[in-house]
This record gives sequence, C-alpha cells and structure tokens, in this order.
Amino acid sequence: MKVLRNFLDKQKPHFEKGGKFEKLHAMFDSAETLFFVPNTVTAPKGAHIRDAIDMKRTMIVVVVSLFPALLFGTWNIGYQHFLSLGQSPDFWAMLGYGALKVIPLLIVSYGVGLGLEILFAQIRGHEVNEGFFVSAMLIPLIVPPDVPLWQLALAVAFAVVFGKEVFGGTGMNIVNPALLARAFLFFAYPADMSGDKVWIAEKLDSFSGATPLGDALVGNFDNTPSFYDMFMGFIPGSIGETSTLMILIGGLLLLVTGIANWRVMFTVFAGGWIMGLLFNLWGANDYMNIPAWQHLIMGGFAFGAVFMATDPVTATQTTKGMYYYGFLIGMIAVLIRVFNPAYPEGMMLAILLMNVFAPLIDHYVIESNIKKRLKRLKVAVRS
Amino acid sequence: MQEIFNIFIKSIFIDNMVFAYFLGMCSYLAVSKTVNTSVGLGFAVVFVLGITVPVDYLLNEYVLKEGAMVWLGPEFADVDLSFLSFILFIAIIASMVQLVEMIVEKFSPALYASLGIFLPLIAVNCAILGGSLFMQERDYQSVAEATSFGLGSGVGWFLAIVGIAAIREKIRYSNVPPALRGLGITFIITGLMGIAFMSFLGIKL
Repeated sequence: MKVLRNFLDKQKPHFEKGGKFEKLHAMFDSAETLFFVPNTVTAPKGAHIRDAIDMKRTMIVVVVSLFPALLFGTWNIGYQHFLSLGQSPDFWAMLGYGALKVIPLLIVSYGVGLGLEILFAQIRGHEVNEGFFVSAMLIPLIVPPDVPLWQLALAVAFAVVFGKEVFGGTGMNIVNPALLARAFLFFAYPADMSGDKVWIAEKLDSFSGATPLGDALVGNFDNTPSFYDMFMGFIPGSIGETSTLMILIGGLLLLVTGIANWRVMFTVFAGGWIMGLLFNLWGANDYMNIPAWQHLIMGGFAFGAVFMATDPVTATQTTKGMYYYGFLIGMIAVLIRVFNPAYPEGMMLAILLMNVFAPLIDHYVIESNIKKRLKRLKVAVRS
Repeated sequence: MQEIFNIFIKSIFIDNMVFAYFLGMCSYLAVSKTVNTSVGLGFAVVFVLGITVPVDYLLNEYVLKEGAMVWLGPEFADVDLSFLSFILFIAIIASMVQLVEMIVEKFSPALYASLGIFLPLIAVNCAILGGSLFMQERDYQSVAEATSFGLGSGVGWFLAIVGIAAIREKIRYSNVPPALRGLGITFIITGLMGIAFMSFLGIKL
C-alpha cells in the first residue's frame, strides 16, 4: 500500500490546478479515492445527502447487495438455456454459460457509462461519482440476457446523458437512470425486449420461453410455475429479477445498513398487495383473479420495490411523502399489469411515473406542514 | 354512465393533452416556474375547457354540422356551416377566457399579477381549441360525454403543468449546464415525463 500511496502522492501535483494534466484531474481523483479514503467527504451538494457516510461507501453497499441477485441470475441463464435444450449439466457449466452472457453486458454498461461520466466530469469540472457504479450494475440486471450489446450501449448513453448529466450529475436527476435505460430499450426496440423469444438465451424454438407475466397477458394460466419456483427464481426473465429470495437478501442488507428506506420498500409491497386484493374481489377476468401475493413475486415487482423505488435521489424526500410514493408505485404497477394489454409488466413504468410526481408529493407534504405549524403558532400566540 | 367515466379517465391519463398530443405547450413551458402559479393557470384551463367543450358541442350539434339546423324547418336540411367552426369556436373560447380573467382579477389579484400575459393568452392555448376540435372529430354522443371529455382534458393538463412545476422547483438547485438552463432543460424534462406517461398508452377503456 505504501508504494501505491507514494506513487499517487508523486503524481498528484501534475493533476492539480496548474499542473501538466490539469484537465485529467477527475480521472486521477477517481483512481485515488478508489484506493484510499479521501480526507474530504462528498461535496456537500445534492438532494441525496442525509448522513456523514460518504457516497463511495453508500454506493458500494448497494452494489454488494445486488450480488446475490446477480450471481443467481447468472446461474439461472445457464439453467434456463440447458433446460430448453433438454440437458442438465453440472452447476459450473450453467454458471459458466451465464457468465459468458452477463459479463459482456456488464463490460458494455460500465464502459459506456463510466466513459461518458468521466467525459462530463472533465468538461464540467465535477468529480466522477460512484452513483454510476450502481446504475451500471442495475442496467444489465433488468434486461433480457440476449439483448444486443449495441442497443445496450445506446440505452446506457441515453440514460447517462439525458437522465443524469444534463441535470448536473449524481444526486440531481429526476428519474432513475437505470430505469430510463430500460424504458429506452423497451420503447425503441420492443422486439428485443418483450415477447416470449428473448428471455432464454439461445433456446430451441419449440420451447416456450414466456415469463409467467407474459403467459398471463395472453390468457395462458396453465403453465404458471409453482410458488416455490417463482420465489426461488427458476423461471425465465430479466437477469436479476427472477429470484425473489436473492432480492430479499439484498434488500435486507440495504435495510440493515440503512441505505434504503424501509418506508418506501414496504409501502410498495403493501400497495401492490392491496391492489391485487381489490382486483381479486372484482374478479372480472382471469387476470384479475391472479392471487394478490403472486403479483409480488412475479416479474420485476420485488426487484423494483427493493432496488429501484428506494433510490434516494428520485424518491420523495419527505418521510410522509414516502408512504404515498411507495403505495402509489405498488398500486399503479399492478394496475398497469392488469389493465394495460400493451405491457405485461408495469413496475418499470409505475416507478418512472412516480419519479416524475415525487417532487409534487414533496411540495404538498411540505406545504401542509407549513400550514400546520402556522396554525400552531397562531394558537400559541393567542393563548 | 360507465362511458362518461371512461372518457374522463381516458382524457386525463391516456390521451393526455400535453404528453400524448403535445398541445398547449407554450403556457405549459412558460408558466411552470412555480407550483402555485401553475395551479392557478391549471384551474383556469380546467374551467375554460370544461365550459367551452360542451358549449361548442351544442353549437356544433345544432348549428354547424351538416343538416344540424333541421330543427328550424325542413328547408335547412342540407345547410352545412362546418366551415365556420374554427371562427365560432375561437369566439366562444375568447369570451370564456375574458370571463376567467375578470374573475381572477377580482378575487385573486396576486395570481392575476403572476400569470400576467399568459392568462389572456389561454384564448390561443392550443389545448383549448384542440379540445373543441377533438370533440368534433371524435363525435361524442351527448353533452355529458363532451363535458367529461373537456373536464378530463383540463385535469390532465393541470396534472402535467403542476408536475413539471414541482420538478422545476426541485432542479432550481441542480447544476444544469448553462446552455440548457431554463427552456432547454424544461423540454428534456417534458420528454422524460412523456416516457413516464407512456405507461398508460394502450389501455383500452
């Protein structure tokens, strides 16, 4: 370590103001802080700052909590692939096959995203932020395993530039960049993002590859997998979203460390469940009769609730607002699933929609608080 | 009854004036700096749309449409005045806006001052004329349907402008690139909101 420190100290003057490589300071800064805890914590700007813990630590915890879902997803790609071929090789072969699919996605996502991030940091003179480590990790987890790499690169570029950098970088974005990337792919290349062809890597054509939600959309309820299969994640789907168990392990880590807010997480589940119950009562068609609990483990609901809705930047900032925000996400997600024949999955759009209205919820929570306190003041003055 | 409710919900979320048709953008972009002003303008638009659409509906049904004047006598059966619809619709809209302006000036001078020129400019807000023309084109069956369409479109526009105003209040502290500050970033936000509103696209009611 000492050698590294000395080396970095020696190079540092070149990158400071007036140095030879002044323009590249952001790159140096990010490399240095990767190895050593900096003396200064995150610049005190941005809506996401709540605590003395600095951004690097926060974001690393999130990345770590994504690992169970990532590893399981990698294995599941192999499992689904060989299942569709009718083979059952050993654990490592499945993992290896999955890794061949996932690692290029990760490389493209990190490469394109960090490249743009560093470019913006250089030009605009802010630091390279770790926020993107999380987004770049999330993006491969919410796409089908076979998504073409150039499409992924395009989506990441769109999300980083128009979702984040135009607002001034980490902590100032309006919508979740990872979800924006997915929405971009979803609307720009629907053939590669939905249907029953894309969820299993290189499958035989005769094998049905639809996700449980995709099946439900076309009214096919016969091969809905068992609760155990859906909870453990032995179903086709986006890479990270299939295993509710692994997501919950990650979610637990986020809750214990206090990175994610439990209010948002639980109200999303509660909202989805209640909406599901309401539809069960209504029961006008088969789709409405899907048991409420099943909505919570199908598709991307759990993943969205745990990792996407809790994003501290784009969620509501007020405590009371979080209840409304989470509850509405859950309700709208199930509503879109049941009512909208165009999309089998509603979680992504529900979160994006509430991201957009989060500032409005905050505004009214704050206004009502101001009014309450003014009233209290008046009462106090009078008495 | 069901149909009327469906039209209302549909015109708020699915056929949103701003995010599905990009109508009424000028005041949407210009007045959305603070939530309070945009709430005022939003209410004005809801009011104007809620009145002009049914009034224009009656006008269209009993005066303008081909054969609409048949109630005057059989000799009017082939009179077609639909070429007059633009000018008459605009006249109705302008008089309603005049009314709103007088009401706002009387009861909320502060709002009147902050809306400024944009209050009378509601008269040329494309969302309002768009509402009347959509009504004509979609051929609603009764005054009640036209009213619910007008109110729904107004509420949808209200939701859009209030939502973007809250976002613009939030990003006031963001480090937006200088070239994009103001209108540029607002256009980008509008696009992002449009993506979010696509969640309702395709719902059939």
